[in-house]
Order: sequence, then C-alpha cells, then structure tokens
Amino acid sequence: MIILLLNAFANGILYGGVLALLAFGMNLIFGVLNVIHLAYGQCVMVGLYVIYVLTVMLGIPLLLSCLIAIAVSSILGVLIHLLTVRPLLKAQLLNQLIALVGVMIVLENLALAIFGGDFLAIQLIFPVFSVGNVFIKISMLIPFVCSIVTLAFLWLFLNKTYTGLAIRAVVQDTETASLMAINTKRIYLITFVIGGILSGIAAACLAPIYSVHPHFGSAFTLTAFVIVVVGGCGNLVGGFIASFIIGIISQVGGVIFTTEIGELLVYVILMLVILFRPQGLLGVRVKA
Amino acid sequence: MLKVEGISASYGKFNVLFEISIEVGQKSTVITIGPNGAGKSTLLKVISGLLKPTSGNITLHGERIDDKEPYQIIELGISVVPEGGRIFSELSVYENLKIGTYVKRARKILNRRILEIFSLFPILQERQKQMAGSLSGGERQMLAIARALMSQPTIIMLDEPSCGLSPLVVKNVFKLVDRIKAEGYSILLVEQNVSRALELADYAYLLESGRVQFSGKREDFVQNPYVKKSYLGM
Repeated sequence: MIILLLNAFANGILYGGVLALLAFGMNLIFGVLNVIHLAYGQCVMVGLYVIYVLTVMLGIPLLLSCLIAIAVSSILGVLIHLLTVRPLLKAQLLNQLIALVGVMIVLENLALAIFGGDFLAIQLIFPVFSVGNVFIKISMLIPFVCSIVTLAFLWLFLNKTYTGLAIRAVVQDTETASLMAINTKRIYLITFVIGGILSGIAAACLAPIYSVHPHFGSAFTLTAFVIVVVGGCGNLVGGFIASFIIGIISQVGGVIFTTEIGELLVYVILMLVILFRPQGLLGVRVKA
Repeated sequence: MLKVEGISASYGKFNVLFEISIEVGQKSTVITIGPNGAGKSTLLKVISGLLKPTSGNITLHGERIDDKEPYQIIELGISVVPEGGRIFSELSVYENLKIGTYVKRARKILNRRILEIFSLFPILQERQKQMAGSLSGGERQMLAIARALMSQPTIIMLDEPSCGLSPLVVKNVFKLVDRIKAEGYSILLVEQNVSRALELADYAYLLESGRVQFSGKREDFVQNPYVKKSYLGM
C-alpha cells in the first residue's frame, strides 16, 4: 500500500506540473482582464486535434506537429481576444463570460462536426523506469519537464522585461498602469497570445497522455478554473502551488479510494477553500 | 506649454466641469484649489486622458492631446501622481521606479536616472528591494512622486498629494514638491490644503462647482477678499 501511495504521489507531482501549465494561462488572463477564459480547455483541445491531424493523418514528425499546434493556438488566442473579448471590454463582465461560453460551444461542436465523437490518440508508447519502488512513466515525465521549463521562462519574462513588468502592473491597477504610458489594450492582446501559446504547449504535453474527443476541453477548463480559485484568483504563485495540491490529491485519492472519488476530492477541496479561505491560498482579501 | 481651453466633462449624464480654461507655463507652478467635489481631480483625469471631455480642447506644446489615449499623452511628457499615490503595492520599490521609465524615451536612462532619484530620496534606495506595500503612508507618496519623476517629464501633475497624511508627513510632502519646483519642473498641483499650496504657487485657480471662479498670480490671489474669507480664514 505504501508503495502504491508513493507511486501515486510521484504521479501527482508530475500531473501537477502539467496542471500548473494549464492553469497558468487562465490565471494570467484572469489577473490582467478579470475574465475567466471559459473556452480555455477547448483551446487545448484544438491543439490536440491539430497534433493528431498532423502526426497521424499527415505523418509529420511529432515535435514539428507540436510546434505548429503552438502557433495555431496562439493565433486562436488572438482571434478569441479580437472577436469576443475586445469588443466587450467596456461592457459588463458577465457579457464577456457569456461570449466565451459561446466560443466554447462553437469549438466543441466544430470538433464534433469535423472529427465525430470518437476518442483519437496519437498512439505513442513510452518506456517506464523505476527509482527504487517508484515507477515513473516517461510519458508523464517529459510533459512535466516541459511545463516546468516553460513556467521558468515565463517567470523570467514577467520579472525581467518591461512588457512583463507592465503585465504585472496592469494586474494590480489598470488605470494607474495606463498613467505609466502602458498601452493596456496591447497588454490585453499580449496576454491572450501568451495564453494561446500556453494552451498550445499544454496540448503538446497532454498529447502523449490523453486521447482527444470533442468534450475533452470542458474537464480541463473546469480543473484549471478550480486551480485558479484555490490559488487565489489571479495569484500566479498561488495557482502554481494549487496545481500540485490538486494533482497529488486527485492521484493519491484515486489510489486510496477510486479514480472517481479522487476527482471528487478535488471539488471537496474547492468547496473547503471557498468556505474557509475565499481569497484562495495566497490571495488577498479585497474589502467590498 | 499646457493649455486647457473651454473644457466640459461629465460622468454619464452628470456634468462635472463647465468650460474650464487653465494654462501651465514653462517652469511654473500652478495650483488648483477648491472644495470637495469641485471637479479638481476630474480636471486632471481629463488632461491625462482617463476621461474624455465633451467639449473644448487641450494642447501640449501646441499639439492637441484631448483625443489621445492616456499612454500617448504620458509619452508626450506629462507625469501624473494620482490621488493617494496609487503605487503598485505588490511590486518592489525598485520595480515601481522602473515602471516610471516605461515611456520609450526614458528606458535608456533607467540606470542613470535611478541613481539620481536615489540621491534625492535616500530612503527609497534603502528600501528598493521591499514590496512597495510595506511602506508607510508618507513613503508611498514619496515613491509615487519619485516614480513620476523617473521619465524626466516636462510637466508633473499631482492630485492632492497631502490627502490622508498626518500633519508632519504633509509638511514633508510639500517640502518635496518645493524641491521638484526648484529642479525646474512645471507643476500642476491640485490641493485642498490651500495655505500650504499657495506658498508654492506662481499662479492659482479657484474651482467651485465645476467652474473657475477666480484665478490670478499668487500675490493677487491671496489678496482676493472672497478667497481670503472662504479659504484662508482671514
């Protein structure tokens, strides 16, 4: 049992790394624009379909397919921003949310119309290696390493460049940021491009682990949303920590009970956080 | 240099400013005083582009700016110290100063400029790695002013820099503004602390209910019976 738990724990950490990447884009977009990108998981789904079409149907090497998928996802991010979010910037927040639900429905049904409802996988077989009694799947390790490297680059970008500094300023106070000569509209667009790139990288990371289907996205939108809330809406470090908590709990819970209970425990955590620490793990409570 | 001509502005249907005209010349300190709700802060919002005027025009160095976005107006050489300072409390003191040089012309001078600012405000150098949110009220206002100076603007607008501070700190804030004045910046200062603001002013405007009631050089302004009675308690 202990060995099983250790294995689940290791898997949880690896899974958490991928979740961290997935949630980071949604978290950043929420921080900058105060909008929950409800079609985020669907963007990841588009990335997965792109990878599937390129590798399985057209026989393009996986790595190249992944790069193309990242490019497609960033363009998708720009389109979603320009067509649905920007025209509604001055409208009430609910309108943007509804528009993004619309995007979600459109993307899911497009996928259904083009690819049908089947589960499609790229069928890769990766070896497994062991450290003592803990077995590590290479198919989980590669995405984990990619996620951590991506997040490290993102951290450098946010902390070492003028644009990164501007993004962090807009997160805190949009009006004052504009008084620092920051073009906030441009920052919004850049944020969606980053979100798009991240959803593309997330798709590349998930491709070896999951098979894609038209409703693939909603589970990931929901998981990313849970992480954003648990971490403290818009708090990037909080979201990073929350990803590992969620990853470990769902995997370890899956071993102790069943996989379904493991998934359920994630929402128990969400409810506990909302009840007892509504500002999230690292969030700051805002006075009404 | 900065010319505001016949500006009217409103929040929705609620009119706040009525045909305001003011002018800030080279190296001069202009103050705008008046009671709460007179429209002083709104005037600064209109000049900085946060609120679009319903009529009138604003020019800086002869170029119209009233149809521009805030980021474009700041690029042209205006710096703003917003009400309450509005520093970025989750950025470090250093990062707050760095973002003051976000304007394109100032990025090259960041390293030199930050040393100049540190020599003006040694306490900010000591605290440069701290989160700005951990500063005291007076230090925050100091940081907000320093941030506005980073880009070497031609004109700096301050919105009630003494608001909400203790009397001793207020004294220091006005000393700071006096120092900026001595450095040769043009200043547009909005204040409720009339007597202190007048000590610094070259020219003053009295704003009441969104209209300029009276304006004049400091000497004439302080002699005006209405100003004396209502604002200086004499």
